Order: sequence, then C-alpha cells, then structure tokens
Amino acid sequence: MMLSLVHRKLFWVTLLLAAAMVFITCTFNQRKVDFSADVKPIINKKCISCHGGVKKQGGFSLLFREEALDTTESGKPAIIPGHPEKSEMIRRLTLDDPEERMPYDHEPLSKEEINILTAWVKQGAEWGEHWAYVPLKPVEVPETKDPWVRNDIDRFILSKLETEDMKPSPQADKATLLRRVSLDLTGMPAPESVARQFFNDSSDKAYEVLVDSLLASPHFGERWTAMWMDLARYADTKGYERDDSRSIWRYRDWLIQSFNEDKPYDRFITEQVAGDLLPQPTDMQYIATAFQRNTLTNDEGGTDNEEFRTAAVMDRVNATWEALMGTTFACVQCHSHPYDPFVHDEYYSFLAYFNNTRDEDTYADYPLLREYKAGDSIKYEKLRTWLTTNTSAADQQKILHFVKTTDPAYNSLTTDSFENCELNDTKWLAMRNHSVARLRDVDLTQKDQLLFRYASWIPDGILELHADKRDGPLLCKIKMPKSNGWQLMQVPLQAMDGKHDIWFTYSGASLKKDAGGMQFDWLHFTQPFPGNDKPGADSAYNSYLALINTPDATTTPIMMDNAVYMQRPTNVFERGNWLVKGAQVKPGVPKSLQVAMPADAPNNRLGLAMWMTSPKNPLVSRTMVNRMWEQLFGTGIVETLEDLGTQGASPTHRELLDHLSLQFINTQHWSTKQLLKTMVMSATYRQDSRITDDAKEKDLFNKFYARGPRVRLSAEQVRDQALCVSNTMYAKMYGPSVFPYQPKGIWQSPWNGKEWIMSTGNEMYRRAVYTYWKRSSPYPAMITFDGTAREVCTPRRIRTNTPLQALVTLNDPAFLDLARHFAARMKKEGGEELKAQIAKGYELMLYKPLSAEKLQALETLYQSAYAGYQTAADSTLGNNPKDAALTVVANALFNLDEAVTKN
Amino acid sequence: MTQQELHNQRLLKEAEEHVMRLQTRRHFLKESAMGLGGLAIGALLGGCGNGAAPAVPSVAFDPAHPMLPKLPPFAGKAKSVIYLHMAGAPSQLELFDYKPELQKLDGQDCPQSLLEGKRFAFIRGVPKMLGPQAKFEQRGQSGAWVSDLLPHLSGVVDEVSFLKAVTTDQFNHGPAQLLVHTGSARLGRPSLGSWVTYGLGSENENLPGFVVLTSGGKNPDAGKSVWGSGFLPSVYQGVQCRSEGAPVLFLDDPKGMSRDLRKASIDAINKVNQQSYKEFNDPEILSRISQYEMAYRMQIAVPEVMDIRGEPDYIHEMYGTKPGQASFANNVLLARKLVEKGVRFVQLFDWGWDTHGTGADLAIDIGLVNKCRETDKAVTALLLDLKQRGLLDETLVVWGGEFGRTPMMENRDGKQNPFLGRDHHTDAFTIWMAGGGIKKGHVHGETDEIGYSAISGKVDVFDVQATILNQLGFDHEKFTYPFQGRPFRLTDVKGKVIKDIIA
Repeated sequence: MMLSLVHRKLFWVTLLLAAAMVFITCTFNQRKVDFSADVKPIINKKCISCHGGVKKQGGFSLLFREEALDTTESGKPAIIPGHPEKSEMIRRLTLDDPEERMPYDHEPLSKEEINILTAWVKQGAEWGEHWAYVPLKPVEVPETKDPWVRNDIDRFILSKLETEDMKPSPQADKATLLRRVSLDLTGMPAPESVARQFFNDSSDKAYEVLVDSLLASPHFGERWTAMWMDLARYADTKGYERDDSRSIWRYRDWLIQSFNEDKPYDRFITEQVAGDLLPQPTDMQYIATAFQRNTLTNDEGGTDNEEFRTAAVMDRVNATWEALMGTTFACVQCHSHPYDPFVHDEYYSFLAYFNNTRDEDTYADYPLLREYKAGDSIKYEKLRTWLTTNTSAADQQKILHFVKTTDPAYNSLTTDSFENCELNDTKWLAMRNHSVARLRDVDLTQKDQLLFRYASWIPDGILELHADKRDGPLLCKIKMPKSNGWQLMQVPLQAMDGKHDIWFTYSGASLKKDAGGMQFDWLHFTQPFPGNDKPGADSAYNSYLALINTPDATTTPIMMDNAVYMQRPTNVFERGNWLVKGAQVKPGVPKSLQVAMPADAPNNRLGLAMWMTSPKNPLVSRTMVNRMWEQLFGTGIVETLEDLGTQGASPTHRELLDHLSLQFINTQHWSTKQLLKTMVMSATYRQDSRITDDAKEKDLFNKFYARGPRVRLSAEQVRDQALCVSNTMYAKMYGPSVFPYQPKGIWQSPWNGKEWIMSTGNEMYRRAVYTYWKRSSPYPAMITFDGTAREVCTPRRIRTNTPLQALVTLNDPAFLDLARHFAARMKKEGGEELKAQIAKGYELMLYKPLSAEKLQALETLYQSAYAGYQTAADSTLGNNPKDAALTVVANALFNLDEAVTKN
Repeated sequence: MTQQELHNQRLLKEAEEHVMRLQTRRHFLKESAMGLGGLAIGALLGGCGNGAAPAVPSVAFDPAHPMLPKLPPFAGKAKSVIYLHMAGAPSQLELFDYKPELQKLDGQDCPQSLLEGKRFAFIRGVPKMLGPQAKFEQRGQSGAWVSDLLPHLSGVVDEVSFLKAVTTDQFNHGPAQLLVHTGSARLGRPSLGSWVTYGLGSENENLPGFVVLTSGGKNPDAGKSVWGSGFLPSVYQGVQCRSEGAPVLFLDDPKGMSRDLRKASIDAINKVNQQSYKEFNDPEILSRISQYEMAYRMQIAVPEVMDIRGEPDYIHEMYGTKPGQASFANNVLLARKLVEKGVRFVQLFDWGWDTHGTGADLAIDIGLVNKCRETDKAVTALLLDLKQRGLLDETLVVWGGEFGRTPMMENRDGKQNPFLGRDHHTDAFTIWMAGGGIKKGHVHGETDEIGYSAISGKVDVFDVQATILNQLGFDHEKFTYPFQGRPFRLTDVKGKVIKDIIA
C-alpha cells in the first residue's frame, strides 16, 4: 500500500518534472542562469536558514558548492550537476507530502523559482560569486552624446534613466548649488567671500573654482571627521557604568589633519589599523591607531578584565569589517556566516591579528602615548640628546620608547594566586599584611632590574620577590616607604635567565588587620639605565623617571603589540562564548575573498593592512566610494553601507560603483578629495532637486537620480549652520573637546560625580565636531537629530523626522542664543527696513532672495511678536521690542524646512 | 526593509495624508485656538482608531511616520507595560525567597561546593553564610511568602505572579542591566521599550511612545543605553521625563516667548514650508509640517500629563506622593497617568538597591529597609489604582532587578565588610509580574533550601522578555530587525514564553 503510494507519487513527480523540463527548454535554454542574480536570492530567502552556515538539516548545505554537492545524510548528494531529474533537491521542491516537500513547513516555491533552480542544476549547478567579493575589473562606460553629460558618472546614470524612461533634471540655480556643495564638502555654508566670488564669476569655470576652494578649506577635514567618528565609535568617555573621561581627542585631530592633507585612503587606513607597526612610527602614526582604541573599557568594580578585553578585541574585528570592508562579519563569531562565504574559524583567524595587543581593560587605558608639554618637552629633548651622545642607538630607542609608552610592562591586574590580597576594585594588585600573589611567565633573560609604579600607604612595608615558588629563590627584598600617590621605583634583581613565575610576598609591622599596605600599577623588567657611568647619567635617569610619571602629558590610548615573550594564543570561541575555547588558530584572512596576502606582508596587523589596501581587495575601495556617494546623494549606490554582502541591498548602479572604485585606486591614487570632486562635478549631482509629478510617481526615493539630492542636514550640520549664519562660530581647530550649553541634570553616572561644566567665552561656539561626547549620555540636541551614541561602529545613520527635533531647534536655549545673534546680524546687515532685514536673514541661510509669500508669513510673525512685546516688555530675546521680535523671526528661520534641508 | 518596500508603503501613506491634510489642519487650528491638549487628534493623524482598520499589521518602519500605531501580529492581552526596575539588584532573600535553612547556617563558613567554578564580583576566598535579615509570612489567598519589609505589597499578592527562579549570566550591574533591557550585555542593542514602540507605534501621538522616569538620584548603571534604540532608528529611544525643569527636554517655550507667540511662529514656519512644498513637491516637507504641529501639541499634552497636582487627595494618600518632589512614588503615579493616556511603555528606574554592606546605605538591614519603605506603598497603589480604573487587565506591570544576591555574606577582597551585605548573584532571583493577562496569585519556580540555585521552574531574563512580548502580541522569535547581516531580535537566540504564568 505504502509502496504503491510512493510509486504513484513518483510517477506524478516524474511527469511534472518532465513537463517542467519542456517549459525550461523554452525559457532557459538560451539564457544562462546567473547564480548571483537569479539563484542566490532564492537560496537566501527560502533555503539557507535550514541548509546553510548555521544549520545543515539532513546534512545538506547550500553555502559553498563543495558542500552542496557533497553526500548528505541519506548517503547520496542532493544535487547532481547536469541532472535535475536525478537531484533530490529539485525533486523535493515539487512533492505534495508536507513532510517531504521543501521548504519544510513553509510555502512551496513558486513555479518560476523552481524553474530557475532546475535550469541552474541542468546547467551544471555552478557557483557564481557575489559581485562585491569579485575583484574590480574595468567597466565599459555607456556611450552617449547627450549634452547634459559632464563626466562618466552621468553616462552611467543617464543610461539607466533611459531604460526607466525618465529624464534628468536641469542644473540647479547657483544659490542652491553653492549651499549644497558647501554643506557637503565643508559641512557648513561657504564663507561670504567664497560665495561672492562664485556669484560674480559668470564663466564656465566658476563652479569648479568654488569646489576647489571648498576642498582646500580647513573646514573640509572637520566635516569628514564628523562622519568618520561614527565609524570609529569616537567618544570622550570609556563607556559602561562609570563612563569616565578618556583623553583621545588627539585621534580626532589626526583625522582632521589627514582629511585636510588628503592623505591617500590606503595610507589613511594603514595608519589606523597598524600605524604602530610601521617602521619607526611617528607620534601621529601611533595616534592614528586610536581608531581601534575607541572601544569600551569597563571600570565597574568586580568586572572580569579579560572578559572586557576580549569584548574590545571582537569589537575591533567587527568595526574593521563593517567600516572598512562593508561586510557584516559579527555573525561569524558564533557560527559560519549564514549567507556569505565566511566560516566560523575564519572569524578567529582574523581576530588573531588583533588579539596580541597590549591593552587589558586597565583603568588607565594602557598602552598610552605621552606627548609632552612645555618644560617636559625640553626635558625630553635633553634626555634624547644625552642618550645620543652617551648610549647606543638601540638603547636610546628603547629608553625613549619606554618613556613615551611605558611599553613593555606587565599590568598588575594580570596577577593571580592571591593569599590575603586582591585586585583593588579589580584594577590594581593591592597587598595586605602577610600577603602573597603571583605574576606568571615573566621573561627574565638579561633582565636584572625591576622598574614599577606603585602607591604605598605605610612607612614600613617589606616587599619580597621570589622566583618560581612563594619561597623560591629570592630576587629582591625592598623596604617600601610611604609614597605620595603613584610613584616609580627601580630595584636590582638577582640575575636569572628564562621564564619564571614571580611571587610577591608582603608584610608591614604597622599594618592593621585587613588594611591595605601598597598597590601596584605596572611592572617593567629591564636592564640598568644605559650609560650610567657617563657624565650626567644621574640627571638623565631622573628625567627619565620624571617623564614617565608626569601628570602633565597629553595621553592617547594607542595600539601596540605584545612583545614576543608576552604573546597570547588565539582560540576559536565555541558559539561565540569567550569562556569556551576551541581549537587554536593563527592569523589569517578569509579564503573566499581570493585575495592573496601580498608577498612581502608580515604576519601581523601591518600585513593585514597591506592585504586590505591591495588593489585586488574587492571590498575596501567599493565600501569607501559607496560611503562617499551616500554622503553626497543621501543614499548609497548600495543602500546598506554596512553590508555589501548577499543580504545587503542590491546596488542600484553596480557598474558605476565598480567604475568609480577602480578609478579611486588607479587614477585617483586613493585621493578622497579627487573622488569627491568627481562626484560633485557631475551633472547628476548638480541637478535641481525639485520633484516632478512624474518622478514622484516613478521614483519617489530618487534611486535613479533624475533629480538632485534633497535630504535633511546631519546633527552636526544643523548646529554648524546656525553658528555660521549667526556669525558666532569660533573657528579654532583642534584640542580637547568642548562643552557648549546643555541643560542641567543630564549627566548622572553612578560612582562618578563629574558634571557638564559649560565652556566659557568663544569656546562654547565651536563646531559640533568638537563637542564632548559622553557615551552613556550623548549631547541631547545631536542625539535627537539622529546622532549615535558611538557605542559600536555605526556605518549609517538612519534619518528620522520627529517632533522632538522641532523642539530642539525651536526651544533649546543654545539655539535661542544663536537666534539672538542671528537677529542682530540681520539688523546690522539688512539695513533700516524690516522687510530687508528678514530677507537678509533668509539670504544668509539660503543665498537667495525671499519670495513675497514667505516674506509675508515671516513679517506677520514679526508684527504679532512686536505687538506682544510692546504691551508686555520682556528683554530676554532682545533689548527692545523690535530686537526681540526679530529674534523670534530668526528662531523661525532656523526651523524652516529649507533651512534644515540640503536642497 | 528595502527602500522599495518603504517607497510603496510611503506612497500609501501619502495618499492617506492628502485626504487627511485639510481635516488635520482644521483640527490643528481648532485645538490650538482652544488651547486644549489635542489628545484625541493623534488618532486622526494615524489613520487608526478612527474606525478605519489599518491596512496590514506589520513592523515596517516609515521614516516619515515612524510612530504610527500598528497592530501586533496577534491579539495581545496587554496594551502597555510599566516596568519597575530596582537598579542595583534587590535581595530576593530578604523580600520573597524565604529560606529558614539559611538562618541555621548563619555565620558558618560557606561550603566549598558552592564556590567551586563560580565567579563572583567581590566575594573572595571563603565567605560566611548570612541568614535572612527579615521576617517572612505567607500572604493572601495564594499564600505567597513576602517579608515584613513590604507590608503593603503583602496585601496584594493575589494579583501577582512571582518568578522565583530567574537566572542571568551577568554579575556586574551595567552589563546585567543591559542584558535585562536589551538582550545583550554589550552596548549597541535596542531596549525592550524601543522594540515595543517600533512594533506598535504610539497610541497617542502627542506623547512620546516610550517614556523613562528615573529616581534615586542617579541614572541606571548602564546609562541611557538601557533605554536606547541601538540599531533601531533613534526615534524609538525612550524619552526621559524629568522631575526638574521641563518634563521633556526643550519642551518649554523659551523665556520671553509666550504660548501665543510660539503658536504664531509655528504657523509662520508652516506657511513658509507650504510654499516650499509647492516649490519642491517633496512629501518630506508635509511630514515636517505635521511634526511641527505635533511638537506644539506635545508642548501642551506632556506638561498636562506630567502634572500630578490635579490628582485627588485620596490618590496622593494611596501612593504617598507629594507634588513637586522628585521621588519614586511620584514616578509611579505618573506611570499610571501615562498609560492611561495611551503611552505604550513606561520604564522606571529606581537607583540605590545595591546591598554589599560596604556602607550603611548599602547594608541589607539598613539601606534595603529604607528602599523598601520608599517604594512599597507606591508600587502597591499602582496595582490597586490600575485595577480600580479597569486598566490592570491591559497593563503589564513588571518588578525586578538585574540579578539576585548571594546567600553568603560579602567579604570584599577577602575581608569582612563593615555592614551586613550580599554580593551579586546570577543563579537565582525574583521578578514579579502582574496584570496584562498574567495569572493572579501564582508562584512559578523554586530555589534550593538556601536560595542559591533554581531547582524548578528556572527561567532566564530572555524568557521574561519573551513573555512580555507575548503579552503584547508578538512572537519574540519572529519579531526581528535586520542588522549586521542578519535578522536580530530582542531575545537573540534564546527565550521561551513562560506559559505557566499566563492566565
């Protein structure tokens, strides 16, 4: 009975298949099925959640070809290339029995989908590669003689518009173009002189002259830095519970300088990923690596430092992929990528590049780079000179490196085997009376000195260091005096070669029970100070210690690799759990991208950077070009900037993206400014942004670019524009972050009494990019306009439109203050007449004359405000009723749709 | 969701909006002229609640109308949630989990078997056991154990389901709070309230859909991220209502700007924007116009709802509220007012429940007693008040901390603490829920005889999240948002609805 049923079923299936074959012969015989375009989307949507990187039901996976053709649990392969009729996978798609038919427990595939899959198997079940993982190849530029076209961008755009039966828009008027390109390139309206020159120049070159002057403006770097800070998750605090301050603004300044000097993008990335590994790195190259030190540090008492070190390392891996390679790699930390060709272990091989850095979730954020000020920098120069004269080049380099970075040193929080002692607040090894602790695996070869940073609270502590056991060979015995805060001490050690566990024992006659006697910050095993028999050695040595412990240096957390004898192994974490360690792995990059490591690449982060910036890397250039396009046009060619993979959005203009990406590498030599110039010089960019009814119908979201971009300003631009038009912007560049007006009571971090203390004078009128960014409590006005908390890398801000945004520009006292200044300027520059004053305000904001209807609305507002202030005098918004009424108008101007939008 | 889908959705909205624009405008003028809170008008804007059923229940995000009310995938029992989070983690052993055996062990060394393989935040070496520092009794018909530290709550246990064997895997405040509210111990994920407003929109467009109220003088340890929107659009983050200054940041008209003048200026702005719309034909401008109108109405509606002075005396007596004070009790009363007005999710954080014994405020027999005294009456009043208004059935009330406390006395850094205290504990703690379709007078789960580990009915914080979403009409496994290349959900890869506590 059962058998005959099966037979009958088989008969029908065979018949159906035969019928399908006939159909396919008609539809697909001529055309080759495109794996990426036709097959992969079906697999991703309908099959892969059960037969992919996470689950392999029935032993069948469709992630890689070799897996798909492999034997399944049934003992046979599910796909026989060339033979859909013999392929179990195809058979299962058409069955009636819900237990057998695939997709299991879901709607059956459509006829068309089945046809595509069948034809694909028939044609050999070839695996295409996803476009974004294929190296860039030259693309044929569409031919056209249309006079609208200005450069290659327009050729691609126009060709697509023609297939959509749409027409491009004419060029926007000069005023609109000026404002658009100024906001885009410098993040703020162009200075008056630049604007005037543009308006007065009626030649064809006028626009290009404008673009060149904006690209050369120092404000260019500030604008693009603001964008990059979301990718770098830049913040001025460490995150988590206490969310204390972190000094890392030098990295922000490095970004500004790099954008301004148009540092080639390959260099720009290399310095951020591996600046510390470049030969003889400069201070600025070290500072560039702070890109990856913007990860969070957890200062909460009782936290496991290794847990949060690991979390930071994983965050670096994720940010590297998302920000720089447009790929969502984070899912591979738990299992093989469900959709894209990355396997679980590859995450950890990649992680191995980042797993040997010195940072260990310490309170101080070690390792830090110290930059000296005033007297200390003279002291530093003197030390350098003395070392040059009196010691070897190697010794000089070693000493200066240690002065600037205190590397290599062991952080005391890595000690263990505590007896009657503990890590104080889980941060520093603190000793009590008769306490014991251990520091494991210290390399003592040719190191007979110990320099350490400590705080001692009693006058008569006795510290002993023993090798191997608590009562092993004595390395040193030290009388610890009471210290004034953190101090340095250097002591000789019994010479001993090889790796040893160091045991600390400590006692103090005056110590009360349970009281702490001393604590350690870090320990540096070393040789005697070089040249100590030369004249001036004492003074040089004292400078050396003073420079290490100076509280005045500007410090920046940096990346720095472990010394050879401190290397950590890297293991796979089973299902992403850092406590469950699997196989050990070596540094490596995912194979499926098919980009070989450059031959001369070292096996570290520098090699990784060389691999990323190799012209063969398919992702780095595409990701950056796509991002820049999004910044100018409002939406990326691939909408999902963070994911160019198979789960991301499809590119609207794939050939254009590839063309620009190849050009960015080869012709523009990674010049960001040239890339941007190409985009803003295009006719596509210069179009009018008014929407025709036809376009509204066909392409509301402007995916085909039949008009210019029209999008709301970013949080930073909203503020910067208001600063500019009100003539209050303090254009000072660089330096520690500043504190513009913020209402009281916003900051309330536990165990942290810090308050927002408003900057004084001009400092409160700095550009938005300099505003202090506290992770657990970001600046309210910016966060309301879709700024991000910068907890993790945010490759794309999603623009919203909410009443809370209106409340910021209407009521935030910071904006009211600017409105007052704006009104004063309108009055001063607008002349005697009210109408002219209002029109001046509009013109300052939008560079164009105010229409009669708009003027009337604003004038009516002025009159009702004026009437009110005459009867009820109030000087808050102006010294007299007229001034106050004009402030009300200025406040309204900040809120116009045109004002908060790039038109 | 792709732009294409958004596009289609938005086209529908635009059509809707064209029809409604005139009507809305008339309403706006009328409402404003009367100076009344336009609390009913939200319904008109949304196209929901005015008789017309919304087209498709979905969680599509439309940037032009992000707060439109939406239907959940299935009919949920609860319409709104009030989540009372006692930040710092209250001790279950002094409040709900009665352990007479622990009393017998008081002062003895902790057996090694309880310490092996465990990680603690502060306990080092061998700590002493600490017996319960409160008297317990069985209460109500249901006979639930509640200590004398919560005399008021003791009277309403028959409304409540207790989860007595909740577990977590985070033993530090910040990460544990993040886990409870965002499903991840790391920063960057959306909070429960954001998911809910993303999924359901807001029933009252003049009030934020997700309101946060804090007390105890500090923000929760994990900062504003516990009400952040993570990778969801920022519009879904919680709006913190403050007891000082404007109840919502920048809600108040600036000094020197009268209400009439503010209205006149919004009128002028929108008139100019109408002109711009004529020029550009961009629907985003229409959306901006309605956001400004909404902002104006919000300026009226929020202060109205945030003002508790109008509440009758018996209500103040019931909650123990004093208008003008910054207190947990006031926040609880506000929570009731907010859900009454259609706010979807009200999140309270009360800071100061950490009881390490490192100071008097942090002592199990001093600090904890005070925190109970400050909160017990108001929490109880909330249940009774919601009930008497017929709102308890559709309002889910959740009470809990981020983890539990150890049956051992904390010995920070291996030495005795100056006061009685308990360390952070992940293996067992109590959370309770009431209303919103939850069983009344029920106890789920049990711990061992010293309250150290769950022995039956063990649930974790993901299960609690799954249950909350379930009560609102969401299958937590299907409620997702695409991020980092995969559909993310609040409960990540975990979570089971706790069916036993559902009525």
